[in-house]
Amino acid sequence: MKKENYILGIESSCDETSAAVVSISGASGEESFSIRSNVISSQIDIHKKYGGIVPEVAARSHIKNIIPVIDEALSLSGIGYGEISRIAVTQGPGLISSLMVGIEAAKALSYIWSTPLVPVNHILGHIYSGLLADNNTAESIRFPALVLVVSGGHTELIVMKSMIDFKKIGQTLDDAAGEAFDKVAKILGLGFPGGPIISALAEKGNPNAYVFPRPMMKKKNFHFSFSGLKTAVLYETKKSKNRNKKYVQDIAASFQIAVADVLKEKTQRAIKAYSAKTLIVGGGVSANTMLRSAMQDAAKKNSVSLIIPPIALCTDNAAPIAVAGYYGKIAKSYGISAEPNAEIGI
Amino acid sequence: MITHYTKSGKETAALGRRFAKTLHGGEVVAFFGDLGAGKTTFIQGVIRGLGIKKVVTSPTFILMNVFLIKNKKSKIQNVVHIDCYRARSSNDIVGIGVLEYFNDPRSVVLIEWPEKITNILPKRRIDIKIDFRKNDARELKICDKTNTATRKKSAKKPHA
Repeated sequence: MKKENYILGIESSCDETSAAVVSISGASGEESFSIRSNVISSQIDIHKKYGGIVPEVAARSHIKNIIPVIDEALSLSGIGYGEISRIAVTQGPGLISSLMVGIEAAKALSYIWSTPLVPVNHILGHIYSGLLADNNTAESIRFPALVLVVSGGHTELIVMKSMIDFKKIGQTLDDAAGEAFDKVAKILGLGFPGGPIISALAEKGNPNAYVFPRPMMKKKNFHFSFSGLKTAVLYETKKSKNRNKKYVQDIAASFQIAVADVLKEKTQRAIKAYSAKTLIVGGGVSANTMLRSAMQDAAKKNSVSLIIPPIALCTDNAAPIAVAGYYGKIAKSYGISAEPNAEIGI
Repeated sequence: MITHYTKSGKETAALGRRFAKTLHGGEVVAFFGDLGAGKTTFIQGVIRGLGIKKVVTSPTFILMNVFLIKNKKSKIQNVVHIDCYRARSSNDIVGIGVLEYFNDPRSVVLIEWPEKITNILPKRRIDIKIDFRKNDARELKICDKTNTATRKKSAKKPHA
């Protein structure tokens, strides 16, 4: 039984190289997951210089980082490679050159250690990340569950009927919510990443100072659109040359509430439409304080439980990838390759 | 060069759909314009016009989306949507394998933020420059350099 207990997760889909060892205990259906180690080689400082994530640097850094990061994760975990029962690796979606680094490393280790390899979808990592919060176990999710994944590359609503049954019911039709944060930060001449900067400024701003559109909020479907909101902010900023602190804070607050309103409204409507019993939120934007409280409110109003990862686990990291590896299928061969446009159940 | 005017995002996308009908495969189309100009909107129209029904989201984060046209009768088999917004230099874009799609007769390549990769942009290409007019209105200048680029080159030769 001991061999089933530890999973090595590897994640390199975008800007972070990460490896983690997660231990699984408890009977089937009641599993609890705890992080033995979780190493993230954050490249955010390199990116700050260029006002965005720099792909080539990212891909090159992955090559440089992957072995030390895995090594560090294993050594911090205190688990020998012989005790690892599975290797889980992100197969997609993501940036192809970055994904390949993680996948090839995982394949090599799987072959050398004779350890089963499980390719997983990056989105599943965001979904399962809340299970790594203290006090949460597999039992915490009551089905059907509604999932909102919000990040720099994704904004999706997913219905989950079991731990392995997913159906995407809505998504952004243009920009992801996190991308809107980054681009609005750019329009305002602020740094990168935009999320935390906008969020900090918004706290001191007046959210009613400017009325920005709530795109698609009244539409009955579960899709999103944030491109028009970005453009609305652009038009507003073109009206005046004013860039004083108060102005930037008010724009940030008014923009942020527009994003939160749309996400909350559609999420609540989906909870009702699918009679969800649990609301799961994940992805980088779920670190946003205002979105967290909006989601707490949505869960409370609809009498559903809320599962949301601790802030440190919202952005891309390998620990939830290991959890996804627990529920995923073992690869039958080493013929697997990166799937930059991978999607979960549509 | 042909100049078009659109009054809304919807019209910009519709123009993209019509533009798609002029493509035969092998074209590289570069979209110049600031944040919010409507590059993605136009491209969404082009990709729809080429018969792809999938949702076309901004590839800012994953950098490149490749859509496959499954209709065997179509000369165009790949529609490649590239966003250089995050790129620092053309090496970033070369690194993800875009060169194999340039001038490939089975591919149409649509590039946002091409100014970041000018040194690898093929000379034979179509430039589309989008400028802001009042409100959601836009001016789109379409400059087809697929033939002129080579002609200019040969015209220069005797003087070189």
